[in-house]
Amino acid sequence: MSTHTYKKFEEAESGVLPDKMTIYQDCLNAFNESPVNSKRCRLLISRLLQLLAQGETFPKTEATALFFAVSKLFQHPNDSLRQVVYLAIKELSAVSDDILMATSSIMKDVQNGSDMIKPNAIRSLTRVLDESTAFSAERLFKSGVVSKHPSISSAALVSSYHLLPVAESTVKRYSNETQEAVSDLKTFPYQDGLSEHYPNSTYISQYHALGLLFMLKHHDKIALMKLVQQFSSGNTLKNQLAQVQLVKLVGSLLAKDPQLVSQFGPLLLGWLSNKYESVQLEDAKLITSLPDRYVSPEIFASAVQTLQSLLAVPRVTTRFAAVRVLNKISMIAPEKIVICNPELESLINDSNRNVSTYAITALLKTGTSNNIASLIKTITNFIHEISDDFKIIIIDAVRTMALKFPEEWKHILNFLVNVLKQGEGGFQFKNSIVEALFDLVQFVPQSKEVALENLCDFIEDCEYNEILVRILHLLGKEGPSMKTPSLYVRHIYNRVVLENSIVRSAAVVALSKFALVKNDPTLVESIEILLRRISNDADDEVRDRATIALEFIESIKSNGESDPSPAEDLIQSKYTYDLASLESKLSQYMSAKQESFKKPFDASSISRYTEDERKAIDLKKKQEQMFSKVPTGKSKGKSTVSSDAEKRNGTYAGPGSDEMDQDLQSAKFAEELGSIDDFKSFGAIVNTSKDVPLTETEAEFVVTGVKHLFKNHVVLQFHITNTLTDVALDNVSVGCSPATSGDDCPLSEVATIAADRIKPSETFATYVAFEKSEEVVTEDLLNTLYFTTRELDPSTHEPFDGDEGFQDEYEIDSLPLTAGDYIKGSFVGNFSACFDELPNHEVSVYNIRENIPLQEVVDKVVVNTSCLTFDNTQFVSTDSNTHTLKLYGKSVLNGARVALVVRMIKSSKGIALKVEGRSDDPTLCSDVVNEII
Amino acid sequence: MGNFFSSMFDRLWGVNKEMRILILGLDGAGKTTILYRLQIGEVVTTKPTIGFNVETLVYKNLKLNVWDLGGQTSIRPYWRCYYSNTAAVIFVVDSTDKDRMLTASKELHMMLQEEELQDAALLVFANKQDQPGALSASEVSKQLSLVELKDRSWSIVASSAIKGEGISEGLDWLIDVVREEQL
Repeated sequence: MSTHTYKKFEEAESGVLPDKMTIYQDCLNAFNESPVNSKRCRLLISRLLQLLAQGETFPKTEATALFFAVSKLFQHPNDSLRQVVYLAIKELSAVSDDILMATSSIMKDVQNGSDMIKPNAIRSLTRVLDESTAFSAERLFKSGVVSKHPSISSAALVSSYHLLPVAESTVKRYSNETQEAVSDLKTFPYQDGLSEHYPNSTYISQYHALGLLFMLKHHDKIALMKLVQQFSSGNTLKNQLAQVQLVKLVGSLLAKDPQLVSQFGPLLLGWLSNKYESVQLEDAKLITSLPDRYVSPEIFASAVQTLQSLLAVPRVTTRFAAVRVLNKISMIAPEKIVICNPELESLINDSNRNVSTYAITALLKTGTSNNIASLIKTITNFIHEISDDFKIIIIDAVRTMALKFPEEWKHILNFLVNVLKQGEGGFQFKNSIVEALFDLVQFVPQSKEVALENLCDFIEDCEYNEILVRILHLLGKEGPSMKTPSLYVRHIYNRVVLENSIVRSAAVVALSKFALVKNDPTLVESIEILLRRISNDADDEVRDRATIALEFIESIKSNGESDPSPAEDLIQSKYTYDLASLESKLSQYMSAKQESFKKPFDASSISRYTEDERKAIDLKKKQEQMFSKVPTGKSKGKSTVSSDAEKRNGTYAGPGSDEMDQDLQSAKFAEELGSIDDFKSFGAIVNTSKDVPLTETEAEFVVTGVKHLFKNHVVLQFHITNTLTDVALDNVSVGCSPATSGDDCPLSEVATIAADRIKPSETFATYVAFEKSEEVVTEDLLNTLYFTTRELDPSTHEPFDGDEGFQDEYEIDSLPLTAGDYIKGSFVGNFSACFDELPNHEVSVYNIRENIPLQEVVDKVVVNTSCLTFDNTQFVSTDSNTHTLKLYGKSVLNGARVALVVRMIKSSKGIALKVEGRSDDPTLCSDVVNEII
Repeated sequence: MGNFFSSMFDRLWGVNKEMRILILGLDGAGKTTILYRLQIGEVVTTKPTIGFNVETLVYKNLKLNVWDLGGQTSIRPYWRCYYSNTAAVIFVVDSTDKDRMLTASKELHMMLQEEELQDAALLVFANKQDQPGALSASEVSKQLSLVELKDRSWSIVASSAIKGEGISEGLDWLIDVVREEQL
């Protein structure tokens, strides 16, 4: 008998499972047996779980059969069988139907079961509950949360996270108990048998409770502030993770309102010397990621100091985390972490490659031109030992350094060429090296020749089409103006002979550009010969390109020197389009109605950049990238206003991702409006403003508004979200009344579209349309939300029959139509020259009697005028009391240019602004200047 | 060796033989109350059963595995998942609920047609006799058309789960019948 059981165990441990159907059959048979053999059932369930863990699934009917079979095991009182039953129920409830059948049995265990199975029971209970049954479990959860047993309390708290999306109101009903659970120090009831070295509890339930509280109250700023106050004082939080969570909580508060930094200052400072490393780290991370202007330099410095001391601890994970935070800082403000350089240098040889990689990249950023050579030498020694991801990080760091210290190009180029030629690494890695070389070619002219030669070498042996094509394009662009163009021709032609059709056609285009070389007539001839040969290529595309290139060359020749042929432009284009606006214009053109296709697409409205302009923009973008790489986390930390400013910033620096989003959004709006009959006669949208909030985000009804400008109309689109849980809103509309009444009013309302019903947590759009003249019309629009509230029957989620509801109204912020709505930011090469040549001149002076930072004023002006800022004037230096802001944009109606110079002085009495505006259009000029704030 | 003897004794006294009994009926008939009256001999406060309750109890040397399935309309379709190996069905009727007698009758006859329940004995409790206006056992029997049942041992007992009347009488009958059939 004993050998028999022994063998069975061996079989289970060997890890080889019988096939799926055998397990399925065995389970059904064993679970339906009477009486139940608990040991065998345990074994079978563990097999079943192993099967599911390996990713196997069952079809719905079979899973349901298994679920019912497993539920029959509730008849057996064995605790250890019950534990695996719960695991099985938890897994199966995801794939099976009718899981509510286990509800009563589980509830009974939660109520009367032993401490051993209670946590499991609570966890699986959440899986089987739905919205209608959750309320009956409320008492069980409540008593679980207040249980003195840490495991049970934790189970109830963590399960509540999962219950939140199903039945938020149920979880909310025991938030008081949850709050108590944070401060309640729970220990395991078994005292004896534990030595003094092991603490009796980790108090982990504090962490779970705090997490749940945060989820419940994340909308409520005041409540969160109270939480922080309550739990940061004294010694309430014993658990390490709970303390980290509290730091994060403060972080999320500061993200919404950075002004609070001063209030939390002492707290943040205190955490820096917390006894737990993780708390110190989290705190340092938070402090260093806050917007500069809110953090005092002292706090920042002490955060850096804490990080510095963490670099020397024995624990690798801590070192890693610290060096990672420092690396982030190094991207925006390398000068602030220079004091850490000795520690960072000692980490270069850290046994953990990830730590050393970050240390080096941080050093590369803080580095000066003196130590670059030695740094690069160190990197060369170990770059082959790390993974591709980290290699890319290093290459990116080297690349930004190349832009920062152009005079060190020799070392950098050597390093890049070396790693490129080593041959290891995937596409991403190679691409980032080539990318770095491209930057050198574009922005460091001294390096051009050597870099191009090395790229030529590289394409002789490169397996990636994408990279090949890009290099060929670059050679075509730069090659003809180099000293020895013929050298590049040879390399390019090699590609034509050896590569596939994609690369061949790219090579043809590159070759044709060499025909424009003026000083070497033999070269032009050879190109022609080569192209003729290529026009016999097997591939259509390659042939076509060769033929058309020959045609162009012919026409250039026949036109002669004095009269350059238009074909020259086609071979070597002098300008590029602003790709972001080209894309959005095209998508607007595509989304418009059929009629507009009768006219060809008009490309002239899109701004063009000459080669130099484009380079300037590119460089700016690259530099900005250096500073904004971090900001995924950082931009969240800024107030909405300033991130708007960043967005603007992004426009002239090239399309940032935010900008893309906005383009996509306006294309979506255009489509939505196009589908509404009332607005069809208005024509195409001229401009769409951003979606601006008109209520607090915590309000019962959250409203945001968008302005769409048409030629003779303006449409206001309101998005209304019902955040109440048990009330539906019927006949929702927004009443807009222009501030000027009577005949003077430049706007007349033509249509209103209301939303029929907005159920809880739904969002609907309503519209109000006005007719206006073609001129620039500005007007303040006062908005009121009208609606009928109807209470919902909690069981059906439909309004009660016979409930008439009652009408109500709700005042929301006004949505003024300003001059800024008629302006779109644009780029100009020389701002001051442009400013001086504009004909119409307007000056206005403002006084702001509030004590607000200059940066806030700047942000507001930038948003109100929708212009682009120039010469980095969107950032106010923190220690200065004066600032000059330069703005430029174009009218969306007639393309009239607008340039603004805003001078501001801050004194004890407030802020004085002097706005000087110049424009092609006199009305627009005065409107903008007079409505700047 | 010890195992062998104990299993022999078990067979003699019939203790190790487990018997599956289902308690069915419309919602609010008193099934869960009857179950716990049987197990702990007390009246417990209950709420509507979502799913089922299962308890093991020893009655007159017999180990009973009693399944109390929820009676709500949404749960009735799942009764059939628990029919296999069932020795007896206890059908509980709320004797005061005259409006739903027809529904109860329909559910009862539909259930008894199931293949897996052909050999199961049927005990009907005409429950809630303590309430005013309760129908008598014979009236309930008529309403449920129990006389139409062929080839089945059945019985109807007037009961009050709250007062504990009639429960053990009914169960005694059931045990006798089942023991006869099984041995």
